[in-house]
Amino acid sequence: MAQFDHLAEKMLRGFASRTSRRSIFTVLGSLLAGAATLPLLPVARAQDTGNLQDPGDPSRCDYWRYCAIDGSLCSCYGGSVTACPPGTEMSPVTWIGTCRNPADQRNYIISYNDCCGGVPWGRCACQRNEGDRPVVRPQNNNEITWCFGTQSQSYTCTVALVLGVAIDQK
Amino acid sequence: MTQKIVFRVAAAALNLSFFAVSFAVAEEFPSPLPTETLLTINKLPAKYPTGWAFLNYSTNRIELRNVASDSGAVKGNLQSRDSATLLVSDTRPEIYVADTVWSRGTRGVRTDFISIYDRETLNPVGEIVLPGAKRGLMTAMEGMFAFTDDQKMALVFDLTPQALVTVVDLVNRKVLGDIEIPGCALVYPTGKRGFSTLCSSGTMLSVQLDANGAAVSRSETKVFNPLDSDPLFTASTELAGIHYFPSFHGRIQAIDLRGDAAKILSDWPLVPAADISGNWRPSGWQILASDEHKLLYILMQRNGHEGTHKEPANEVWVYDPTSKTRVHRLPLVRPGTSLALTHGPEALMLVQAGERLDVYDLKGALLRSLDLPGFNTRMQMEPLR
Repeated sequence: MAQFDHLAEKMLRGFASRTSRRSIFTVLGSLLAGAATLPLLPVARAQDTGNLQDPGDPSRCDYWRYCAIDGSLCSCYGGSVTACPPGTEMSPVTWIGTCRNPADQRNYIISYNDCCGGVPWGRCACQRNEGDRPVVRPQNNNEITWCFGTQSQSYTCTVALVLGVAIDQK
Repeated sequence: MTQKIVFRVAAAALNLSFFAVSFAVAEEFPSPLPTETLLTINKLPAKYPTGWAFLNYSTNRIELRNVASDSGAVKGNLQSRDSATLLVSDTRPEIYVADTVWSRGTRGVRTDFISIYDRETLNPVGEIVLPGAKRGLMTAMEGMFAFTDDQKMALVFDLTPQALVTVVDLVNRKVLGDIEIPGCALVYPTGKRGFSTLCSSGTMLSVQLDANGAAVSRSETKVFNPLDSDPLFTASTELAGIHYFPSFHGRIQAIDLRGDAAKILSDWPLVPAADISGNWRPSGWQILASDEHKLLYILMQRNGHEGTHKEPANEVWVYDPTSKTRVHRLPLVRPGTSLALTHGPEALMLVQAGERLDVYDLKGALLRSLDLPGFNTRMQMEPLR
């Protein structure tokens, strides 16, 4: 045991004689700076909403609000989950779905507004059909181009806005 | 000096060997290729073979394909821009495509129109402009564009979102007028000169027209389509004037469209008791077809549930609608989304499965698989008669 204590004392003394307090701060600072830089490295990362009650990545089909979407996500075209991309026009007439928010376990009425007159090219195309009904019930159908009341009826992409909590919470 | 001589000898040897090879090749092919005629354009036969089918990519083209050959040769293409739908006439050598364009690509002045193509040349030989910028824009599906009156008239489903039907005289190539169908969608030819349409109240509305395209009678069925609990798909197949519509949860509804007004016939379950635990349901896009032996072929999905009604199906189930029983069960080599049967004595079953078009015989043996380059939407297939 005494031999072990002697060896430990020798190593620590050697370490202390080779380093200064400042150099310890240098090493620690570098580690901290490195850790802070890691998330900034150019790797593909999920875009979270930043809101714990609205979890998920609005540029991915599995985001909870897209439960009844059929189309391209405006988040991938310069818009967002609630805004159309520049150079397009949002249709005021929409179809609606009911999606369950996994964070607060509430059902929400989602308005799927199409953005129209821009440049469609099939990026972030999603197809989910929970609650989708045949075109006979147009307000619940996602095959229709919902570009009504806009200057151009040519489809570009779709946003998904929360209209409110659904009455039916089953 | 010596080096120069070596080079000269080598060059001469090379020339001699080249000459020898050329001489040998010329002996094998004594005549040169004949001069070819400039500006040749292929023509199609006046009557297309029954192994050909139009494939509507629901995006930028409608492709005519020989699905009965292993090469799956493309025979021609028709332009399509937005929600284009196709009608192929049996009574005139013409093909019709209802389409929509804007004068500046995705913006500018909107024009809805029917292009009229010559069957042999695929040249556009006329067009009918549809007024009012109201043609329904949606993924190409049955019921957006239909013949009536022995193909003398066409019906175009409009949605603004007010629902209308534009009546078109195809013989004189002019629009006759509009019929309002509030709360209803799509058109299914009915009677001599008319159509039926599925309504959001769960009924079917039938309209008969006079020779000028005006409505002369309207009648509505009782409620038969439970849109909340088990809605009917809008895809159907027709056998001798009876249309069969599958439902989301696995029924099939027969509707007689031979008379002036739709007559709702019986419905029956598609899933036998032994298979109920598998949660089998109809699914896909062009979900069903019928053959010349009066059998129904339906895409069926295992473990179906809410929201899977447009997803690819695992099997095709074949039914005899007279006995209301399943007579065959045909597993697919890969899940398929659209189904069609070719006509004629050697009918084929076409199943679009992702970027492949799988061609089976009617017993379910895979004969070939053709590519569908760039296909990523929903396919509507139209085999030729």
